[in-house]
Amino acid sequence: MAVIPELEFKSMLDRLDFRQPRRFLIENPEDYKGEFPAVIKVSSDKITHKTEIGAVVQDIRTMDNFKEVFKSMRSKFPGETLYAEEMARKGVEIIIGLINDKNFGKLLLFGIGGFYSELFRDVTFKKVPIDRYDAEDILSELKFGRIFDGYRGLKVNKEVIVELLLEVSKFANSTDYSQVDFNPVFLYEDGYLIIDAKMII
Amino acid sequence: MNLDDIFSVKSVCLVGASREEGKVGNVILKNLRKNFKGEIFLVNPSATEIDGLKCYRDVESLPHSIDLGVISLPSSKAVEAVSSLAKRGCKVCIPVAGGFGEQGDEGRRIEQEMLKTASVAGMRIIGPNCVGVIIPRTGLNTALTTENKSSFPSDGPIGFISQSGALGLLAMDEFSDLGIGFSSFISLGNEIDVDETDMVSTLGGDERTKSIALYLEKIEEIDNFLNECRRISRKKGIVVLKGGQTESGSRATSLHTGSLLRTSFSLNGIFRQNGIIMAQNEVELIDFASAISFSKPINGNRVAVVSSAGGVGVVATDVLENNGFKVSRTSSNLASRLRLKISKIGSPANPIDMTAEATDAQYEGVINELDNSGEFDSILAFVLFQTFGVTEHIIEFLDEYNRADRTPIVVGVIGGGYSRRAIRELTSKGIATFPSVSRAVSAMGALKERGEFLRRFKDGSDSRA
Repeated sequence: MAVIPELEFKSMLDRLDFRQPRRFLIENPEDYKGEFPAVIKVSSDKITHKTEIGAVVQDIRTMDNFKEVFKSMRSKFPGETLYAEEMARKGVEIIIGLINDKNFGKLLLFGIGGFYSELFRDVTFKKVPIDRYDAEDILSELKFGRIFDGYRGLKVNKEVIVELLLEVSKFANSTDYSQVDFNPVFLYEDGYLIIDAKMII
Repeated sequence: MNLDDIFSVKSVCLVGASREEGKVGNVILKNLRKNFKGEIFLVNPSATEIDGLKCYRDVESLPHSIDLGVISLPSSKAVEAVSSLAKRGCKVCIPVAGGFGEQGDEGRRIEQEMLKTASVAGMRIIGPNCVGVIIPRTGLNTALTTENKSSFPSDGPIGFISQSGALGLLAMDEFSDLGIGFSSFISLGNEIDVDETDMVSTLGGDERTKSIALYLEKIEEIDNFLNECRRISRKKGIVVLKGGQTESGSRATSLHTGSLLRTSFSLNGIFRQNGIIMAQNEVELIDFASAISFSKPINGNRVAVVSSAGGVGVVATDVLENNGFKVSRTSSNLASRLRLKISKIGSPANPIDMTAEATDAQYEGVINELDNSGEFDSILAFVLFQTFGVTEHIIEFLDEYNRADRTPIVVGVIGGGYSRRAIRELTSKGIATFPSVSRAVSAMGALKERGEFLRRFKDGSDSRA
């Protein structure tokens, strides 16, 4: 089992036209050409839960702030690749996962993401590949599926989710992996962004 | 060998027939003799006749070949019996006794030997360690339960397959008593040969079977099972009650997906993908299967609730709304037409309350108007026989309505002895009838799930193709 370096996986997703925040490889702070606030992350082939060890710093508001964070991360993670992204505005958080299970073969997971996701565990599994009906079914299966009808000013476009799920299914069908996390994915009224993506082969 | 032959068995041989009350070989004999229309041969080396039926010394001495063999012998003697049955051209054989693979290595060895002998001869084995089969249409009944303590089903549209013999027989007993008929009951036992997927295929090809109910604890080749269910579920409803934990094969939990698979895996999403409706208990298993056999798939969530008791309508509305249905008001146009059909003190909004002044004619008028209006995707009618003007004549109307191409209807009947008899009559006419609000609504949920699944084949093609 091997972790695909995150940056490599994200570039692969770029090429497949999956939507992600703009991303810059940074050797010097000046390499960052995006908007603020920004996020700096470590791309590693070892670390799979970055937040807990400070391998991701969010909400960097200015270039000065950016330089400071860059400096401290550089010394904390010597030799690791650092990259920065434009910080995405909050959307409805979901998780989409893929797993190659010994008994069931390739499965696609879809669930409510965010802070309470581990508490509610509101997820469903489908066998890959899925079709449009399965994708629509996924949205109606979740206990908290009403969130996709809009919640507290957060609006999502169901058609966007359906299209995204079909694309992920296509990806799953043509790729070898042991596990993939798209977590979280932010959903908006007019689109989505994959905020974090990891793959283990 | 084709398992379809199980529906047209003309001769049965019971190896290990016994005259001793309470012995397995005697219980099966009694059940076989009760209704079976074909020939029955008994084999027992130490008797010349049992109960007036001639006994043969061994299978070799039978006058001609037989279709089905039932082996009621301990496992140590089973291989020999299987082998001699196979030689006589037997098509399906059922070793009922336990003491096989479930007991350890020696049992497994015997199973393998039986399987080898059978497959060379093209004979299929159901079991061992099972309670047998019941095919009401031919009267074939090899069940391991006595008739004085439980009721056996009459012929009907539900094919019932169970990995637990006892749970299967209990459910059959209860539902047969409510007038539900079965095309077949198959107890799978240790499944050394015939498994759940084989039975789904077989019942799928049987014209009299309209829906298939399965109680399963383990699904051996899940991919085959799912694919076969998807193929069959285009034509027939499939309902599964899955007992026990279903373990995924993955242990690695380094990513969130892996840890969620470990903590929160459910078959439901995968079942829905393949046209399988999941039941939560044995009552839902048969309720859902009978709803699918008797009523029609529901396409949409707009329900009209009809009753002669305001409270029943109110509770039904709450339960429906909690289960994803909408009990919206009737349009003013429809309401004014309904007003002409019901008592002045009644309510033509939705739930439609005909009050205690309801009559058969009012039910008929209201249900016809609701159907014609096109405002609803299904009708839930509580036919409450405690109401003075509601009589058994209403059953005739409901029967006619249910047979026609009209808005799907589910009937609720609440009450004791009299109502129970009415339920039996409604059910025997093939009307989806349930004895409580929650069971009626759950059954409607299954019909809606069926409707949602069938959308995939709307234009005659498979959405997956």
